[in-house]
This record gives sequence, structure tokens and C-alpha cells, in this order.
Amino acid sequence: MTSAVPGTGAVRRGWWYVLPLAVFLVALFLVPLVRLLRLSFSPVGPYNAALPGWTLSQYARVFTEPYFYGSLLRTAGTALLVAVLCVLLAYPAAYALARRRAGVLRTLLFVIVISPLLTSVVVRTYGWVVLLSGTGVVNRALVATGLRDQPAQLLTSYPAVVIAVTHVLLPFAIIPLTTALGGLDRNLHRASQTLGAGPVRTFLRVTVPLSLPGVVTGALIVFALAMGIYITPLLVGGVTQPLTGIRVYDQVSTVFDYPVAAALSFALLALTVVSTALLAGVFRIWERRLHG
Amino acid sequence: MGERAYDRAVRLAGVALAAAVFLFLIAPLVVLVVSSFSPTGSMAFPPSGFSLRWYAEVLGSPDWQVSFRLSGLLVLLVVPTTVVIGTLAAYGLAQGSFPGRRLLTGLALSPLMVPEIIIALGLLYYFHGVGLINSLPGLWLAHSLVALPFVVRAVMVSAAQLDPVLERAATSLGAGRFRVFRTVTLPLLRPGILAGAILAGVTSLGEVAVTALVAGANTTTVPLRVFSAVQYQLDPSMAAVSTLLMAASVVVMVVADRFARISEAL
Repeated sequence: MTSAVPGTGAVRRGWWYVLPLAVFLVALFLVPLVRLLRLSFSPVGPYNAALPGWTLSQYARVFTEPYFYGSLLRTAGTALLVAVLCVLLAYPAAYALARRRAGVLRTLLFVIVISPLLTSVVVRTYGWVVLLSGTGVVNRALVATGLRDQPAQLLTSYPAVVIAVTHVLLPFAIIPLTTALGGLDRNLHRASQTLGAGPVRTFLRVTVPLSLPGVVTGALIVFALAMGIYITPLLVGGVTQPLTGIRVYDQVSTVFDYPVAAALSFALLALTVVSTALLAGVFRIWERRLHG
Repeated sequence: MGERAYDRAVRLAGVALAAAVFLFLIAPLVVLVVSSFSPTGSMAFPPSGFSLRWYAEVLGSPDWQVSFRLSGLLVLLVVPTTVVIGTLAAYGLAQGSFPGRRLLTGLALSPLMVPEIIIALGLLYYFHGVGLINSLPGLWLAHSLVALPFVVRAVMVSAAQLDPVLERAATSLGAGRFRVFRTVTLPLLRPGILAGAILAGVTSLGEVAVTALVAGANTTTVPLRVFSAVQYQLDPSMAAVSTLLMAASVVVMVVADRFARISEAL
């Protein structure tokens, strides 16, 4: 907003300031990505060693073997599910945060919301491992309440993956939503209620449509992050979970087939970019419909 | 009257839902903290008593001491690196006007949106070629790459609100470009820089996704050691380490919250 007029700021030639970052990102982000892309077109020899030359066989494997393409579909489905869960769970929390006036309770709630962001993903996930283990709280509650006769195998299950990933990414949905809800004009609520709408109707017809930008931001961030997350599902779900991040990790750390791992990860990147763009498009249409 | 009761019921339901979500967010962390004080080797919750034996075990173990030192050293390296590079860049991107500014902004933030497994794999393959696998410089660069976008984004929030008139005033009063930057610009960017520094430190302290692939036997950071251990065993010593990691983050955050509003930078 202040930088629009060229030649007026003290930093007319501001690119000097950006130079170190550009050099750093080219050297450690772009070059590795390009080299990885090149690797994904390499044939493999004995012991999965990458050979010189060009081939599409790695991509052919990725798109014909169910072990690989199945994981891509499962990952996209999981990311979508997690994004929906995060938005649904974020709403009450963000609403409570946005309506609370500054004070001890609000600070405490805010710390709870961002605490997952400030603790290692390993720590957060380990908490779930403990909660969901055979002797964990959840299982003992299930047995104690008579819902099950014996502890269930919760760890290394797909629901455990969804729960833990949702937990890890939830703050990314709550924060933009809190900002959006906090910016709403309270007079609109009052207007709606004076005109005879109850709290539920006001919420659905006034609050939700107006907070949509926050919902969209949160959902897109959560979706994109859920596509690439691999440590959390690996720890709670185990190495056999059919998710792409875990498959790539497995190819690299136990099979040592780098080229196919590279091809699979670029397929994941492409799928992430395309599906995020599609989602953003859908949201834009939806928003336009809502606001006429 | 009936309408009032209905209103209250709706509001109460909302509060209950919100409380459930907050409980969901905090539960795994609380369980860890509580079980870290378990007197026995089991992770049963609630524990049967209170003891500090797992803390003593962890803090007395040479392996863990090496990891703690390494993680601390990395934070000390990564925070200044990313703060200097990130602050300069955020200032240039928010206030400068030059061709390709939007493209560069996109590039600066893109490591946030690229799946972490790709960054990890890319660095693994690249570092293999240049001999940086299982090395301190390798981890320094890798953590800096992951933390940089957070710093850029945090400082850009402050830099976008900066009024260039203040800098022009200083210039017209005879201050050189460096002096203007040091005495006018930097103090105005302080909240963003501080928030960025915290995020960078916390990111480095907790990073596993990339570390798991580029580190090695000689460079096992604290979260990486937890990561490998959790896959094979569950004992309260890991909960003790996790609690220590959390405590480090909380202390940094509480101290910093007095100076900066991290909420705005996220």
C-alpha cells in the first residue's frame, strides 16, 4: 500500500535487499528441486542405482502401479477430509476466540490454539501415540465404559492418522478464521436480531457468509499442508499407510530407489498444485453465488 | 421467555463445542507432560505417582546431551541467519519497487506450500552430491531454508505498515542510507523481526520432516532422536524430553509475547 509509487521510497532499488534471499533460495531450493526433477527422468540399474540417460519409466511406474497411484488418490482424499474436519472444528474455537474480549482467558485460549505450532510435530504426534496406544487413555475409556470388551488397535489405523493430522493442522484453520470473525461488524448481528432472526439463523445467514474468506484461506492452507505431511502419519499410522509422503520416505529409506521416489514426489507436487487451484476456483464460485 | 431459554441453550451449545475443540487441541500435550512424571516405566495414564527419574535419566545420558547441544547450537545459528536474510528481503519486497517483485515474493514464501517430503528429498539428493549429509552445516542450511518463509512473512507484516515519509524525513535531515535503516527502519520493523525470530527458533527446534532425511548418526537433533525412539518403544523418558522441548518453546513465547504480537505474524 505504501510501495506502489515508484521512485518515492528510500528503497527505490529495493532489489538489493532481496538479493541474499534470492541467492539462498536459488542455491538451496530451486537447484535441488531441478536436480530432483532431472533424477525423476533417470533410468535405474542394479540395486536401484540411478543411471545417466532419460526415461519416462519412473512416471510410468507411478501411474500404473496401484501401490503408487493408489497412494496419491488416498492422500488427496485424506487431505480433503482433514480440511473439512479442520474447518468444522475451527469454527466454534475461532468464534469463541473472536468474541472474547482481551483478558487472561483469551490469552490462555490463544496460547492453546498456537501451542501446537510452537511444539515439535514429533511431540504433538507422540502425544497421540500415547493416547491411542493399547494401554492409553482412549482405549481404557472404551473398555471402562463397556463400549468394547478389549482394547482396540487404534494405533497404526487410518482413523488415527486422520485424527492426528487434523490435530496438527487445526491451528492453521483457526487463525485465519479468528481474524475473519474478529473483523465482523457486531452491528450486523444486532440488525439481524432486531429484524427477528434467532441466533441460529443470524449465525447461518450473517456470520458464516461474512467469514467465508477466513474459511477459504484456512481450508486451502490445511489441504496443501495435509498433502505433503509425512512425519505425523508415519508415527501414528506406521510405514504401511497408503499415503504418498510415507511411500516416498519408504522408497528412499528402505528400498533406496531415488528416481521413483523423485517421480512420485513430483506427481504429488503436481497433484497438490492442481487440486489446490481447483479448490480455490470452487470456493470463488461459491463466494460469488453467496454474495450475488 | 421460551425464546430466551432457546437463545441461552444455543449459546451454551456453542461454548461446549468450543471447549471440546480446545480440549482436543491440548489433550495430547497434557498427557505427555503428566506421564513424564511417572515413577514407573509404563506410560499408563494417569501415572501412579510422581517422580523426576525420567528427567534425571535423560539429562544424565551422554547421547541426549549431545542432541541437546546440537539442537541448541542449531537454533543459535539458524535464528541470526534467517533474521538477517529474511528482514532485508521482507523490507525490499514490501517497500521496494522493481521488476519481478511479485515473483520474488512468491518465491520467498513458496517453501511453505511445497510438500515437506519434496524439500526433504531434494535436499537429501543435493547434499549427497556435495557432502553435506550428516553434517552441522547441512542441517544449518536445511533448517534455515524451512524457517526463512516464516521470518519473511512476519517481517513483511511490519514492513507493509511502515510509512516511507519517516525515512524520507530522516534522509532530508542529513542521515545517510545506512543510518536511516539502522535508526529509523529497523526500530519500526522490530515487532515483525521479533516474531520472525521466535518462529525461526521454534521451527528449528522442532524440525523433523527435512532433518529425518539429511541428518545422520552424528547429527541427531533432539526431535529426531524422539522420532526414532517413538517408532520402537514407548517410555516416559521420551515424554520427559518432549516436555522439556515444550517448556523451551513456551518460555520463549511468553517472554516474547511481552514485546511482540506473534498472533499477527501467523
